[in-house]
Amino acid sequence: MKKRLYLELENCIGCRSCLAACTQCGGHEERNRNYVYDVNPLVNRQTMPLMCLHCVNPACARSCPAQAIQIHETGAVLSALVEKCIGCQNCTIACPYGIPKFDTEQNLMYKCDLCIDRTKDGIPPMCASVCPSNTLQWLTDEEIEAKQKQFNLDNGKWVTSMPYLEGETNVRVNLPGILQGVTKLF
Amino acid sequence: MQRDKFFKEIENVIHPNETLVKTHCSYCGMQCGMNLRVNTKTNKIIGVEPRYDWPVTVGKMCPKGVTAYQQTNHDDRILKPLIRDDASLKGTKEGFREATWDEAYSLIAKKFGELQDKYGKDTLSVFSGVSMTNEKCYLTGKFARVALQTRYIDYNGRFCMSSAAGGFLRSFGVDRGSTLPWTDLHETDCLFIAGSNTAECHPTSMFRVWAVQERGGYLIVADPRETPIARRADVHLDLRPGTDLALANGILNLLIQNGHADAEFVNNHTNGFEETKELVKEFTPEYTSEITGVAPEKIIRAAEIYGKAPNAVVMFARGIEQQHKGVDNVSAYTNMALVTGKIGRPKSGVATFTGQGNGQGGREHGQKSDLLPGYRKITNPKHVEEVCQVWGITPEEMPQPGVSAYEMFELMEQKTIRAMYLLCSNPAVSAPNLNFVRKAMKGLDFMVCADFYLSESAEFADVILPTVTWSEDEGTVTNLEGRIIKINKAQEPLGESKPDWQIQAELAEYLGRGKYFSHLKTARDVADEFRLASKGGYADYYGATWDKIDKQDGVFWPCKDEKDEGTPHMFLDKKFYHPDGKAKICALPYRPPAEEPCEEYPLRLTTGRVVYHYLSGNQTRRIQFLRDMCPEPYVEVHPVTAAKYNIEHEEYVRLFTRRGEAEYKVKITEAIRKDTVFVPYHFGHDKSINLLTIAALDPMSRMPEFKACAAQIEKLELKKVQ
Repeated sequence: MKKRLYLELENCIGCRSCLAACTQCGGHEERNRNYVYDVNPLVNRQTMPLMCLHCVNPACARSCPAQAIQIHETGAVLSALVEKCIGCQNCTIACPYGIPKFDTEQNLMYKCDLCIDRTKDGIPPMCASVCPSNTLQWLTDEEIEAKQKQFNLDNGKWVTSMPYLEGETNVRVNLPGILQGVTKLF
Repeated sequence: MQRDKFFKEIENVIHPNETLVKTHCSYCGMQCGMNLRVNTKTNKIIGVEPRYDWPVTVGKMCPKGVTAYQQTNHDDRILKPLIRDDASLKGTKEGFREATWDEAYSLIAKKFGELQDKYGKDTLSVFSGVSMTNEKCYLTGKFARVALQTRYIDYNGRFCMSSAAGGFLRSFGVDRGSTLPWTDLHETDCLFIAGSNTAECHPTSMFRVWAVQERGGYLIVADPRETPIARRADVHLDLRPGTDLALANGILNLLIQNGHADAEFVNNHTNGFEETKELVKEFTPEYTSEITGVAPEKIIRAAEIYGKAPNAVVMFARGIEQQHKGVDNVSAYTNMALVTGKIGRPKSGVATFTGQGNGQGGREHGQKSDLLPGYRKITNPKHVEEVCQVWGITPEEMPQPGVSAYEMFELMEQKTIRAMYLLCSNPAVSAPNLNFVRKAMKGLDFMVCADFYLSESAEFADVILPTVTWSEDEGTVTNLEGRIIKINKAQEPLGESKPDWQIQAELAEYLGRGKYFSHLKTARDVADEFRLASKGGYADYYGATWDKIDKQDGVFWPCKDEKDEGTPHMFLDKKFYHPDGKAKICALPYRPPAEEPCEEYPLRLTTGRVVYHYLSGNQTRRIQFLRDMCPEPYVEVHPVTAAKYNIEHEEYVRLFTRRGEAEYKVKITEAIRKDTVFVPYHFGHDKSINLLTIAALDPMSRMPEFKACAAQIEKLELKKVQ
């Protein structure tokens, strides 16, 4: 059954375990490929991960003059092919989320490939495997649909569970506000 | 098997030329399951793979856990015994030379022998820790009393779990850190969490915590700081450091006033209710607010939620325990469960977040100055008799009770103790009032340190013995649930390093006490003797065989025999461990912190952990990822307070108390009380916040008051951050 990466941003505790685990995938040369940001650093401790969303029509790949960024059949947008990448860094500018990183020594772009060696076999990526707060989850479409129903709000303050942030993405994101639709037990 | 909704059947990835060894993390009491990746050609640990089939943590790990494997083949490992001949270099890293094990053992035996001949047996001391297996903890107690024949042994649990232990013993008559398994937590209706920065200190509990809220349950957090868990709490009780006892009494008063006391439970299964009810009457929301600084509405709301919740779990950690009334705080929060009867059934109960990997097991089996294996008392002749039979000594040979961890340093200062055997701990960073402690260590006639890295404490040693990391040995650990689990060996010891149990058994030979230890050739030999020694005690591990642990995903103690499957839930029969079978509701008068703010020291200083580091940081500060994330300590200051001192974000300031001072970078955040500053304690030398902390000890647990003292800040004019 196809599974996707699903993000519940409000759960993030800022432990950056996802970044530590990213180095452990085996295919990542022990370099982490995503980000965790302090949302409001001088005010509170809210943090959020910024992961590659694996766009269906990815700006990074479109901007690449050398076709170095391939899209896997699972929808994962892969890291640049070493033999094709010309180091122009177009992708780092094109990505609306600032995901691709650049290695100046190797003159090579590298980015999240959704742990393709794992996810191609349905095994969760390292980040979602370890995430202690369930900010990052690896779910079936049915499970994600149930989540979105649960959190579908339009209360004039927040709109949670927007289908996509910009274009269509393979990764699904739930914006802060996930608890607003919850009915208290007592 | 406690497989719950989070459990998913997931296959592991096994890379070519690799194998996986199932084990658990080396760090905190969560003891997250993990697989170590071992290269089958080099037989070396090279990475980590989630352990999805571990029921407590289902593959999840914090950044410390993910990178824990990097300790084993780290460049900083000590590979051979080290001897320092020039005592004038004590307190530095300098002057050590490599030696053989024989030379090191011979020197230790000679020095220990000379000192004991001159000053008596009790001139030696053992300072231990609980970030190691039950087998090692057990043997360390035996090593001190049988091989060294000294009364002075204690351990770093005095800086960690001893208040929880004291409180539980008083309230329940037994000290098991959690009355229920962690796999219940997400199904409860209310979590009341006091003094636990759970998201940073026990991160893999968080998916269960958030699940309570997602189900519509409530989260109440008591903490002077708006920690990541407090940020999302339904009620955040933002109390002044060191005022928990008033808050707990205030909430208990409201629970009783609002009719949430369970009369049937209280009458049949507890003592002390009437007296306690009278005592807490004084703690009206207004009075409680006056002491704690928490708004009365919040106190009222918290009591209402906890009172109405069909099921609730009261949880706490070092925030309430590291106070000079830590034991009282534990009993006072435990009162909430006892008065409302929310204990002794699934999804309800009381739990402490155990700080160290084996903080639970390590305190049960005889490393504490007054305890013997199986939670037996060294002052109880029957208990002594039972242990003597296993050890093969006579009761007359059993040393007397010693003193607590911090008090050992006082005896070193007074020259009552002249030598120390230190293992599995780094008191030169983790003890309070460090100027005093470091001086005491420096003044020792002879000191041995067994460690796998050259810690700040090892800098005071004459001999350093290289030990193994957790992944180069096997044995059991008892996690924060009270579940006995198995640590497995993934690699042969690096260099000439050896496990502590082997070192102690070999050293016993040199000390002329070999006959009591020579039969212990493997970790399993130690395990078998240890299980036997615990048999019949409160913490009975006799039935927890390694095979059973494997088969059942761990065994909860007590587990008395081969057929016993263990005890995941405590007190299901409503029988507590006091002689009359009843729990004790405790009437506890409020006491302020030992040192209250004054004109000279107007701020409240509190200390704690960050998610990237563990204890004294001796391990985690050497791991690149963790060091990159948090390279140095800082002082958290509220912007209003910062403005008063005219200090800015990332500026360096001098922070000082009556005991010491240090310079820290300022981190401005609104997520802290205006009257409080916070510094993490994982750092050594002149960056240790424990240079400033107070050694006011709890009268029962002898726990120092790390969590509250009076401090002052001074702006440093010239040292702006580069």
